Amino acid sequence: MTTTQTKAIDIVKRSGKRPTEPFNSDKLHHSVRAALLSVRSPEGEAEITAVAVTNAVILWLETKPEVTSHDLRRVASAHLKKFHPDAAYLYEQHRTII
Amino acid sequence: MTLTSSIAIIVFAALIHASFQLSVSVLTLMSGHAIGKRARHAKLLRLMTGFTAGAGTMTMLLVAFAAYFLSSLYGARAPMILWAISCGVLVGVGVSVWKFYYRPGKGTSLWVPRGVAKYLHDRSKTTHQSAEAFSLGLSSVTAELLFVAAPMVVSALVLIQLSPSWQLLGIGIYTVISLLPLLIVGALIGGGHKLSQIQHWRESNKNFLQFVAGGGLLVLGAYIYVEEVITATVTAAGGR
Repeated sequence: MTTTQTKAIDIVKRSGKRPTEPFNSDKLHHSVRAALLSVRSPEGEAEITAVAVTNAVILWLETKPEVTSHDLRRVASAHLKKFHPDAAYLYEQHRTII
Repeated sequence: MTLTSSIAIIVFAALIHASFQLSVSVLTLMSGHAIGKRARHAKLLRLMTGFTAGAGTMTMLLVAFAAYFLSSLYGARAPMILWAISCGVLVGVGVSVWKFYYRPGKGTSLWVPRGVAKYLHDRSKTTHQSAEAFSLGLSSVTAELLFVAAPMVVSALVLIQLSPSWQLLGIGIYTVISLLPLLIVGALIGGGHKLSQIQHWRESNKNFLQFVAGGGLLVLGAYIYVEEVITATVTAAGGR
């Protein structure tokens, strides 16, 4: 994986009940990659797209001291939509399926 | 009640059960996680089969338990008051389904307690073995009991009037029909369809499914009220 590193940014979890946690680019990369694979995207394409989306999110995070996990998912989804709309849809829906 | 109308009620109640969506949501999520982790196709099929078998087993057990419980209390003929109460519950649940079944907003989020939804969500993520998928299937039917209990109890009330062989067949018919959405979604995923397409269809048609489930409960309640309460009362009054 070749994502760029970023300064420490706190992620405020959904509904604020769980404690905040530092941003982890690997976690984001893994979730985007899983969304791509779950729509049967080829492994190589999933890897390249996940890196591109993670880097775009890191760039967006540069100016922010903390963001909510909801915003993180929204922004990642918006970037993913440019590469793979199906995967972006599923990525966005993940929390609202049940 | 004739055998034909008894079987028709069981089939209709099972179709109403089938229109509820929690088990389908859990199956979709579990399959998504398995595919996302690059699980082999055979493993994915095993997980989906395990889940469907679990949901079927729990449905069968619940209907059989309700029928056994009712026959222990009332024998082969439940009192009219119980039929009337069941009709009231069917209508009440039908209206509630119309009003509350899906949470407002995007997605197919259901009106089940959030703790239960989180549990199912987390379990679907960590399910790796067929046995775990089987338990998840059992849990998903239990979690939806608030909605599926009414058609199950009505089926049980009908079942206790039948002969033992028809009772077994009735339980089988109910279980198979209630599993149809899981079998269809399982076949679609197993056949290589994208989860996003399936989820998109479910989201686009959620209001229709909600209307069908709620409307079905109301129709079933009204039919049983006429068949078991009004007709029985009129017949009894005419016989005096």
